[in-house]
Amino acid sequence: MSASISIKNITKRYDSVTVLDDINLHIEDGEFVVFLGPSGCGKSTLLRMIAGLESITEGSIEIGDKRIDTLPPGQRGVAMVFQSYALYPHMTTRQNMAFGLENVKVAQDEIDRRVNDAAKILEIDHLLDRKPGRLSGGQRQRVAIGRAIVKEPKAFLFDEPLSNLDAALRGRTRLELAQLHQRLGSTMIFVTHDQVEAMTLADRIVIMHNQKIEQIGTPMEIYQHPVSRFVAEFVGSPPMSMLPINNIQQTANGVTVEVSRAGSIATAITLPPEFNAKDAVIGIRAEDTAVVSSEEDGLDLTIKVVERLGDRTLLYGTLIDGTDLIAEDSGRSKVKAGETVRVSISPHAAHIFDGDGLAHHSQMEV
Amino acid sequence: MKALNYSPEHLTSNRRLFWIAAALGVIMMAPVAWIIGLSLKDNAELLKGTEAVFSFPYTLVNYANILESSSVFGWFMNSMIVAVGQTFGVLLLSSLAGYAFARLEFPFRKTLFIIVLFGLAVPEQAVIIARHQMFNWFDLHNTHIGLILPNLSSAFGVFLMTQFFRAIPKEIDEAAMLDNTSTFRIFWKVLLPLTLPAQATLGIFTFLQAWNDYWWPLISATKSDMYTLTIGIASSQTNFAQSEGLGFLGAQAIFASLPVVIVYIFFQRHIVTAVSGGAVK
Repeated sequence: MSASISIKNITKRYDSVTVLDDINLHIEDGEFVVFLGPSGCGKSTLLRMIAGLESITEGSIEIGDKRIDTLPPGQRGVAMVFQSYALYPHMTTRQNMAFGLENVKVAQDEIDRRVNDAAKILEIDHLLDRKPGRLSGGQRQRVAIGRAIVKEPKAFLFDEPLSNLDAALRGRTRLELAQLHQRLGSTMIFVTHDQVEAMTLADRIVIMHNQKIEQIGTPMEIYQHPVSRFVAEFVGSPPMSMLPINNIQQTANGVTVEVSRAGSIATAITLPPEFNAKDAVIGIRAEDTAVVSSEEDGLDLTIKVVERLGDRTLLYGTLIDGTDLIAEDSGRSKVKAGETVRVSISPHAAHIFDGDGLAHHSQMEV
Repeated sequence: MKALNYSPEHLTSNRRLFWIAAALGVIMMAPVAWIIGLSLKDNAELLKGTEAVFSFPYTLVNYANILESSSVFGWFMNSMIVAVGQTFGVLLLSSLAGYAFARLEFPFRKTLFIIVLFGLAVPEQAVIIARHQMFNWFDLHNTHIGLILPNLSSAFGVFLMTQFFRAIPKEIDEAAMLDNTSTFRIFWKVLLPLTLPAQATLGIFTFLQAWNDYWWPLISATKSDMYTLTIGIASSQTNFAQSEGLGFLGAQAIFASLPVVIVYIFFQRHIVTAVSGGAVK
């Protein structure tokens, strides 16, 4: 029942303003794809174009083998869950879920069966006769998902559906969505600017930036091998620290970079001859650092803020040249703000970004 | 939640406000009480002096006279047909126009909306001669349609409904579109029910305005069987009505205002909401 989605050379312009520029993407049947990016990057617009709520300027969209961008929204075989849920306030939960089926003249007993089945899956069967005004945010969210499920669509489209929920409920609903995907095996596209949602839900993440797709990959590919400085800084919490490179020396195992006056970092990265060293930086994730004794090699970090998360401790500090670096220590760390500690960096975990923002990684898996 | 203030200064200030409001209430209600008093007195007694209002006996003879008069019921029915017809017409047209202005894309939409709003600034008196001639040409005077038609294009109604439709999140329309709903069905089944509060407000105002309307029926309804209640009652005032038939006039006025009072009692909450302009949830 579900189907693949092919987006071919999609461009969207509002007068002279380009919102999406030549987007190409193929989503496999049954895949859970997350569009991730900052506000205004075009991710919601792309989703709305698949739904048929926005026209496309150029290109085409296919679901299965059928071109659908010329069809009205109701005939595309997709169901959408909105950020605001967009339930019909004057209808009960049951009527909300049944409305779309009544429009296409599905038999009443079939409507009842689908509504009851979906309600059971989502555990909202006791809410079927309530109107949205008498439901909590989480319950409304389930009704919105239920309304999508009963249509048995070829693809589910989610437009930031968790952003109106509180943190605890968001976490729980995220888990339930993942389970729902496993259970239904449907093609799902999920738009979010929350990287945790993207990392936990997606089979593949599509990172969008400046009206283009910046990178497509599995969550771990995106996290470990970001293609650009933008992706590296956008994905991961805390964000990757970027240290300006003063000098690069080729060694037998890779390059060693000199970080301003702060010291040198040995890496396992091999740089191509055409590498643009102007404004190049080395990127380091907090978990790839370790607090070591002062006799060992590393960079001296003066701690400004200590963030204790229980299982680990994040150390926000500055190097001797004033560059910011976030390091990580164990949960039982004794480090205090104001102290200076020596921090070592794993040579295989660093990333180098050239002047154009392109990434260079160690060839060795971390 | 704001804590209740029981300080002596606050209570004194509240008491003062209460007495001011009570005094204003008395001033407002005095003429109504006076008319009720007149309506319950025999005309002959009132002829001697209106101070008779303050003393027994009281009588329902004036109301009985109304019920015996065949004209009053005819006028009442005319008023009812005009007020109900106008109310339904205004609700339908204003809702359709409001939906169109709020949701549909069509050429000159903004310009047309501004032109409609200009209607709020044009007094009825400014167009009355042209309207009279037009209705005369089409032979619509002395008909119910002729009494209903002129006020169907309510600039206020279109404005109110447009604003109300605009306030409904567009995601609701979009969800309906994804539910394979036609544009008319989105209007009729999804959005229109959500505008019920605005419909109630507009309906009440339109009904009250139509019921109390005097100016246009005075021009259009020249035959006594087409009089509305307001015109009919006014026509009952003969040269000596204000001295010889005061009780009967009072009873007619009370009789005429009954539907308005009933509407007000039943829809009081909506009227208060309408007057407060949505500031009170």
